[in-house]
Amino acid sequence: MKPTAAGFTRALCLVVVVAAVGLLPWLSGRDPALTVLRARSAEQEPTREALDAVRRDLGLDAGPLALLGQWAGGLLRGDLGTSWVSGTEVLPSVVAGLQVSLGLMGVALAVAVLLAAALVAPVLVRGRGSGGGFAAMLAAVPEFLLATVALLVCGVWLGWLPTSGWQGPQNMVLPALALGVPAGGLLGRLVADALPAVLDERWVELWRGAGVSRMLISAAALKRVLPPLVPQFGMAAVGLTGGAVAVETVFAVPGIGRTALGAAKSQDLPLLQGSVLALLLLGLATGAVAALVRRRLLGPALRDAGLALPPARPVRTHWAVPLTLFTVLAMTIGWGLLRDPYAVNTAARLAAPSLTHPLGTDALGRDVLARLGHGAASTVGTAAAVCLLSLLVGLALGFLPGIAAGAADIANALPPVIVGILVAAAAGPGTGGAAVAVALISWPPLAAHAAALVQEVRASAFLTAQRAIGATPWWILTRHVLPSVAAPVARHALLRLPGIALALASLGFLGLGAQPPAPEWGLLLDESRAYVERAPWAALAPAVALALLAALAVTGATYTRRARRLTPAAKPVGKETPVAV
Amino acid sequence: MPSEALLSVRDLRIAFHDVEAVRGLSFDVRPREVLALVGESGAGKSLTARALLGMLPRDATTSGTIRPDLSADRGRRITLVPQDALSALSPVHPVGDQLAAAVRSVRRVTRKEARALAVAALDRVGIPDAARKARSYPHEYSGGMRQRAVIAMATINEPDVVVADEPTTALDAERQEQVLRLLGEQREAVGAALVLVTHDMEAVRAHADRVLVMYAGRQSELGPAADVLTRPRAPYTAGLLASLPQYARGRRLPTLPGTPPAPGALPPGCAFAPRCPLATDRCRTEEPQPRPLDGRTVSCHRAEDVTIELFQEVQPA
Amino acid sequence: MTPLLDVRELVVRYGDFTAVDRVSFPVGAGETLALNGPSGCGKSSTALAVLQLRRPDAGEVLFEGRELTTLTERELRPIRPRMQPVFQDPYGSLSPRHRIRDAVAEPLKVQGRWNDTDGPTRVAELLDRVGLDPSYGDRHPHELSGGQCQRAGIARALASEPRLLVLDEPVSALDPSVRAGVLNLLADLQDDLGLGYLFICHDRAVVRHFADRAIEMREGRVTSG
Repeated sequence: MKPTAAGFTRALCLVVVVAAVGLLPWLSGRDPALTVLRARSAEQEPTREALDAVRRDLGLDAGPLALLGQWAGGLLRGDLGTSWVSGTEVLPSVVAGLQVSLGLMGVALAVAVLLAAALVAPVLVRGRGSGGGFAAMLAAVPEFLLATVALLVCGVWLGWLPTSGWQGPQNMVLPALALGVPAGGLLGRLVADALPAVLDERWVELWRGAGVSRMLISAAALKRVLPPLVPQFGMAAVGLTGGAVAVETVFAVPGIGRTALGAAKSQDLPLLQGSVLALLLLGLATGAVAALVRRRLLGPALRDAGLALPPARPVRTHWAVPLTLFTVLAMTIGWGLLRDPYAVNTAARLAAPSLTHPLGTDALGRDVLARLGHGAASTVGTAAAVCLLSLLVGLALGFLPGIAAGAADIANALPPVIVGILVAAAAGPGTGGAAVAVALISWPPLAAHAAALVQEVRASAFLTAQRAIGATPWWILTRHVLPSVAAPVARHALLRLPGIALALASLGFLGLGAQPPAPEWGLLLDESRAYVERAPWAALAPAVALALLAALAVTGATYTRRARRLTPAAKPVGKETPVAV
Repeated sequence: MPSEALLSVRDLRIAFHDVEAVRGLSFDVRPREVLALVGESGAGKSLTARALLGMLPRDATTSGTIRPDLSADRGRRITLVPQDALSALSPVHPVGDQLAAAVRSVRRVTRKEARALAVAALDRVGIPDAARKARSYPHEYSGGMRQRAVIAMATINEPDVVVADEPTTALDAERQEQVLRLLGEQREAVGAALVLVTHDMEAVRAHADRVLVMYAGRQSELGPAADVLTRPRAPYTAGLLASLPQYARGRRLPTLPGTPPAPGALPPGCAFAPRCPLATDRCRTEEPQPRPLDGRTVSCHRAEDVTIELFQEVQPA
Repeated sequence: MTPLLDVRELVVRYGDFTAVDRVSFPVGAGETLALNGPSGCGKSSTALAVLQLRRPDAGEVLFEGRELTTLTERELRPIRPRMQPVFQDPYGSLSPRHRIRDAVAEPLKVQGRWNDTDGPTRVAELLDRVGLDPSYGDRHPHELSGGQCQRAGIARALASEPRLLVLDEPVSALDPSVRAGVLNLLADLQDDLGLGYLFICHDRAVVRHFADRAIEMREGRVTSG
């Protein structure tokens, strides 16, 4: 019963997303005719007649349903329409972009697999322990940050490799690394966290006790770990589509991600529809491949057997690490908040760090520290609001496990960047839109967690004992179920705060979030790229701050599952879904 | 009667971060015998068994000697039947492959020979159509068949010693008996000794030749199972037996007063003294050393005065 | 005289699987009826069905002369306190989040018998009654040993002032000497309060010692008794 509910929700979500893509021109609510007119001929006056002509030309005067029908009909014929801006067919541009992106993602995936193997090997060789901490660190670094740093260090300062374009293999190295390293970290972390628990399973004792060699046991443990993780590997691969947008933009790679972003910014909706659809299909295809791989790995006899992994045991860093990170960030931000982020001082443009400007100034002579502090306040404030909203929705829907599971699947398959592009295309870029985009994909993991807890509590003997003493359903809900669920889920939500802030920053970086002159971390990093050779500190400050935030996200998140000492026989709490930023 | 020992343990001590959980055990394992290690949770019986196998947790430090060190030859000379035999097979490997892996890890045989041995072992524990079943996965086995397969895996290399660590704890009475009987048969068949870790005195009575009773990491009593169970010489053994319903005289069962001491918070002298009706000042200051008495080894200053009625008489209201 | 509990032709099904197949037995006040049998024989399903925590698919459950299976959940609520379960897992039957004192006080609160002057005294009495020092009331379940936790579970059941205890393997998870203490406690409570016990246990030695009568179940049916 449950899987069908989840399947239904999944299908419904997919239809909604595709329909949303199809309805983008109508959803955006603004007048695309104006955009198109400007793009086609800058001189022409936007008179009512001219706009009407464009509207008729584009078929925008039809209602939303007709529009959707038209688009879907074209889709079936393989016609994605024509670009509003360039007037060329959408399909060839999408195909060309897709080819480039597929190449890039293929190499990135190879990087990711190699890196994951390197991270997992020590765990296997030692037979226990975990390399998950370092892997998690790599996984948390957002692609846009890694890409920017790689661009600066290898490309600009050292000049080893080309930093833009798509001419040959040497162009592929940096983008593939920027895209592959976080994915490899994620894969490595999933396996490295799951392995110690598997190596503590009873069968390992039997095998060791029967004298089976460590190498054979390691191989067997890997075979035990991989199949249940394949769906999550699929998700990581899907995450590449989101990361590709940022990486392609930074390195000016003419891939589908950059095409989508460009189309969103220029309001070229047909092109946007085509490329987002391509990205979605890519994600779905990856998911399907993952399912196929899982079947191959498992063999026919095992398909139906419940092979749930024991709960993963992420390695915890010492509590002082997240605390220190938090303190450093909080103090920097606090200091920056006391200063004025908008004060332009043309006399002190791109000044080096000094007593008056501890972190230097930017191209307009604005104080970088002040902008960092105020940027954090707005980013964290927005993230907190998103967090709270996700928590409330997650809690409410946690009581409907089927819906929660299905929605969580879709949300995991949708990178925030793509949702951000869609929302920005519909509502225009801005802090609000970015917040909505991140909120849309932040609640499902919380709902899934809540659903797992609700199920666990409902199945527990002490709840049965509640009914036996004559307690009313209301008493049981308010005194037992809600308190057991709300506290851990709230903690979970809180620990996702840095991750949510990073997602917002990545949208800011891509120009889909806060707009200049607002100080926002992602935006700061983006702006500083232009003059990085002359004022590296201006780029360094937000980069370091973002890296610290990523580290905080990782080290703090391992504390999600507080050591709740239940009985040894008690069922472990449901899975913790990794967040891909 | 004393035959050459297969395995001699002398003054074995196991500590975790300076807290001793096993405090100076000495015993032998003789060829083909069934030696039961009994005691309550936390007495150190499982750790002792693990030490024989060389499978202690990493943070454990040990001293004392175990000779010969069979753990270097684990799988060939000494093997383990772990707790909870229903979940002791890998869910993602065919059962036959798991047995064959055990064979190939300790013997120089071809893949084909290992498979044949695996099938033979499954056949020996009474799994019908073993050749076909060897290709099946554990979830395709019934609970009883899984237990059989686990025992087959532990005995496939014809070890000298099989260590069974609470193999029946999670099972109901009927299953417990089946598993212990099969374990006994297989041990006979391959000529191995069995070290049976359990807290079930009924299992000891039915299956063990000798029994080592442990309390707070030390041996209370070591001797022939029949003697120890009928005429205990250590007060702790007497208390343990008296609390069994089988021995009950009235509706109330005699119980041991108090609780076992936590490791690291041991009383001076005999660890059992605070709960012992016979305890004297000497017991409270001087730790009793194992000494021979009545054909067994007892660690008690007042062993001569112990009878099975000890706890019946002092039963608190 | 009508027995405290009279189960007639009880049937429990899970889908196509019949877990309990026409099981009948009476339990008198002050009497222990043991339900013996291997795991999966339907003992626990019988217990849940008797308690109306899993509504039976057919048959009658007469408790103090009243047929329960036809009652609505609302009608059952005032009757429930008089028949209390004690489960096998001593930790699982108490909420891990609540102190022992709150767990024992909860039935009084739910049943509207709590007031701030007598309530705490009553809780202390109950803890004392099951052989726990009232200072244990401040602890959480995981801070107690298995035996202590099982005693706390019994104290909580007693708080409802039951006539019948349904004991589902109450001592199976305990070490022998601890087990003896809990069995003694149950015997004392029965002698003092005249409770009826439906005692589910797979250990024949314990059953022989503790029960007045025993019936044996196998694959959902009563095979002897």
